[in-house]
Amino acid sequence: MNQPAQGDLVINGVSTASGGQYGRVKIDGVGTVEGDIVCADFDCNGMTKIRGSLAADTMDADGMFTIDGHLSAARSFVDGHMKVRGSLKGDSFSVNGLIRVDGNCEIESFRAEGAFEVGGLLNVGTMDVLLQGRGKAGEIGGESIRVVRKSSGPLNKLLSWFVPRLATELHVESIEGDVIDLEYTQAEVVRGNRVRIGKGCTIGLVEYRTEFSAHPGAKIGKEAKVGD
Amino acid sequence: MERDLISKKELLDEKGISYGQLYRWKRKQLIPEDWFIRKSTFTGQETFFPRDLVLARIDKIMNMKDDLSLDELADKLSPALPDYEMRKSDLVKRNIVSSIVLQRFASEDDDSLVYAFDKLLYFYVVDKLLQAGEMSMEEGERLLEALREHFPKFAGKACDLVFTRKMGVSSFALLSAPSELYFESGVKVVARISMTECIEQLKGKWV
Repeated sequence: MNQPAQGDLVINGVSTASGGQYGRVKIDGVGTVEGDIVCADFDCNGMTKIRGSLAADTMDADGMFTIDGHLSAARSFVDGHMKVRGSLKGDSFSVNGLIRVDGNCEIESFRAEGAFEVGGLLNVGTMDVLLQGRGKAGEIGGESIRVVRKSSGPLNKLLSWFVPRLATELHVESIEGDVIDLEYTQAEVVRGNRVRIGKGCTIGLVEYRTEFSAHPGAKIGKEAKVGD
Repeated sequence: MERDLISKKELLDEKGISYGQLYRWKRKQLIPEDWFIRKSTFTGQETFFPRDLVLARIDKIMNMKDDLSLDELADKLSPALPDYEMRKSDLVKRNIVSSIVLQRFASEDDDSLVYAFDKLLYFYVVDKLLQAGEMSMEEGERLLEALREHFPKFAGKACDLVFTRKMGVSSFALLSAPSELYFESGVKVVARISMTECIEQLKGKWV
């Protein structure tokens, strides 16, 4: 299965390939890549596993996708379930479904619809998240951070009643940014210039510089205007 | 040896920057990861920075960000030894290394000789210790030799210089940082200097 450098890697069906440098990588079915992989264009459908790190210009992953190492991709589109054991780096990253990153994330433009979990710091330029499951991060920092929740159906409500950890909420230690707009978020600290705390939030401390507004249903421990 | 730290909030207030800018610069590797020091305080977890390093770095970023893109800036500020050079005569003129040091250790070099950054760094470190009055000229010569011989072996990795004295006999050691080091009771640690910090400080003289 060894390909010459800059050649393409194509897997159809069930197979294993070695890492290395490729131009295009296309995996349909159940594919495993052993080792680090560098390519221009990465496209996978089905169940894919990389036992190493992935560096690509564009990445399009559908289905189940696991990376044991780090991921860096300029543009990524994920539909389905993705897991990264290391860190994630990219210019634009778009997810429909579920993403889990154990390390830190650095993304210029992050758009997600579904659920996400980041073990370390989620550092974003702009973040636009429509929660449909549980969101979790150690810290979130960036310029514009927006989290809204899709109204959950009766089944989901029932489920979250029995299993609270599946509730459609964002759990995070601290959020720091310029423009912050939150819904259904549990955070210890939120610091920003313009902060809007929406429905269903429980925030320990809010620090803002210019603007602050809160939904009457939000629970806020303490709020303070700082700076100037 | 507790370093002088500045909290994130103080930093933002003092420099008039926003959280977004700080995070963007971190994403672009303009501010190194290991300057973000996490500490728990009575208000919870807070992030601190080494005060002198981060203030100088942010001034530099603010000065240059109008002329250069953030990516170009990142190249300029990378932790490796930069390829800056300087003429011997300029060293004294710009007060980077005192003239006494140059007279003593570089008297045979011509005034117009151009030094590479690593050579400058050695002079700078020697000068620093001499100015602090912790080291004699003879010891300075030995330090200079030790640096020339051993510092390149670290190849860009962070390292510390340790200067010890026991019963009047001095010795120098370079060790990779961070590391812990313990001595027997008669040994006095005269100075422990982070070479990485010296590189930062010296780089700062260019702007």
